[in-house]
Amino acid sequence: MSWLGAVCIFISTTWIGFELAKKVRERPKQLRQLKVGLQSLEAEIMYGLIPLDEAFLHLSRQLSGPVAEFFLHAGKSLEASVSSVQEAWENGLSHLSAASSFKKEEIEILRQFGATLGRHDRENQQKQIRLALAHLERELAEANEAQLKHEKMYKSLGILLGLLIIILLV
Amino acid sequence: MEQVLAVLPEAVGELIMQLPEERKERIEEIRFRLLKPLELIINGRPEFLLAGDGPYIIQPEDGVQLLNKLSRYSLYALEEELKRGYITIKGGHRVGLAGKVITEKGEVKAIRDIGSYNIRIARQKIGSADRLVSRLYEDGHWLNTLIVGAPQTGKTTLLRDLARTASAGCRTKNIPSSKVGIVDERSEIAGSVKGIPQFVLGERVDVLDACPKAEGMMMMIRSMSPEVLIVDEIGRKEDVDAILEAMNAGVQMMMTVHGYSLEEALRRPAIFPLAEMKLFDRYVELTRTGRPGTVQGVYDRDRKPLPMEKRSSSL
Repeated sequence: MSWLGAVCIFISTTWIGFELAKKVRERPKQLRQLKVGLQSLEAEIMYGLIPLDEAFLHLSRQLSGPVAEFFLHAGKSLEASVSSVQEAWENGLSHLSAASSFKKEEIEILRQFGATLGRHDRENQQKQIRLALAHLERELAEANEAQLKHEKMYKSLGILLGLLIIILLV
Repeated sequence: MEQVLAVLPEAVGELIMQLPEERKERIEEIRFRLLKPLELIINGRPEFLLAGDGPYIIQPEDGVQLLNKLSRYSLYALEEELKRGYITIKGGHRVGLAGKVITEKGEVKAIRDIGSYNIRIARQKIGSADRLVSRLYEDGHWLNTLIVGAPQTGKTTLLRDLARTASAGCRTKNIPSSKVGIVDERSEIAGSVKGIPQFVLGERVDVLDACPKAEGMMMMIRSMSPEVLIVDEIGRKEDVDAILEAMNAGVQMMMTVHGYSLEEALRRPAIFPLAEMKLFDRYVELTRTGRPGTVQGVYDRDRKPLPMEKRSSSL
């Protein structure tokens, strides 16, 4: 019977470790997706003069993962005619923060960026996108570093912690 | 009308929906002025809609909502429109704008802080040109025609229907269809949205949307080989050169010009030389007695009146 408990503990701590490692690994990947998304948005705005609802839906088709879902959400809310872009953007963000590995900082960058969307002429819109991209670039560098440092650590920590608890209990 | 209601703020839309059907049909303009009463032009007369005990006052939020819906929440997409001062929406309706103008190096860059919106309802009157057709078509080709009228007399409506008739042809009058080129500087004739005309114009129409007339006429002649070329609101010097060029290239032209009467229009410096050279085969004069689109008369090359098919017809 005690062996069964030990196996349970081991599996669960290992699983937690791997989950944490996955989060660390996914974050730079999703950040890169987000950057591609914003760059495409810039092209849609600068060269296509495409309205936001359409642009968001285009982006959701080009991208993948939670970032694509985010744009899909925002685009759908805009089409359903909410009162402002900001509201649609917030709808998307609340979904994104739950579904992605982004930290508070990234969500905050996006939130501030969303407040400027659709309110300016092309030139200013481009400046805002560039600004958001610069911020995300910094986050990406940090996320890459964190992945290098922590990914393996979380995995081994999970396994080792499981073993430790078992040894203490036996 | 639905396309217009779709962009209006809800409160305003509801007020307009409450109007009786036959008056709704006759709305020509819906005017928004911030903090001023909502104004409708029905049958040429101003009318203020009541909400509660007073007239409905346009609130700043109404303006923001209208602009949001016009731009689909994307102001940058309207850059070109904000420069020109009007937006064409689905259905070919036009929204004129006034507000603070931003200039750069002496040129208008955009309108910001928009204070007034004027939604002009476009209505296509298919068949409005029917009675004129036999006067404007002769010996197997359309005649060079100048339509003269004051604002809101239905010049553009008539021109649009002539374009449609020329492109579709007319079987009962034995008129074959022609290739029609439209230079639509103010997006009024075809009312194009994203390059697609919003009005019924027949199968053989090519539209240069939002293109300066003089250049547009030359572009059309060079590349699209139209048989009939249609332009709105001529009046500048450079237009005249392009018209001369086009007529000499064997293209038949139909155009409109502002003027309260034929005499007055022909006195304009840009039109005078063309009339002197007897380049126009037909003049159509419109007046606004009662309904828009009343034909005062059709005149030939020497400005002698031609008999109408029926007595001055209402289009």
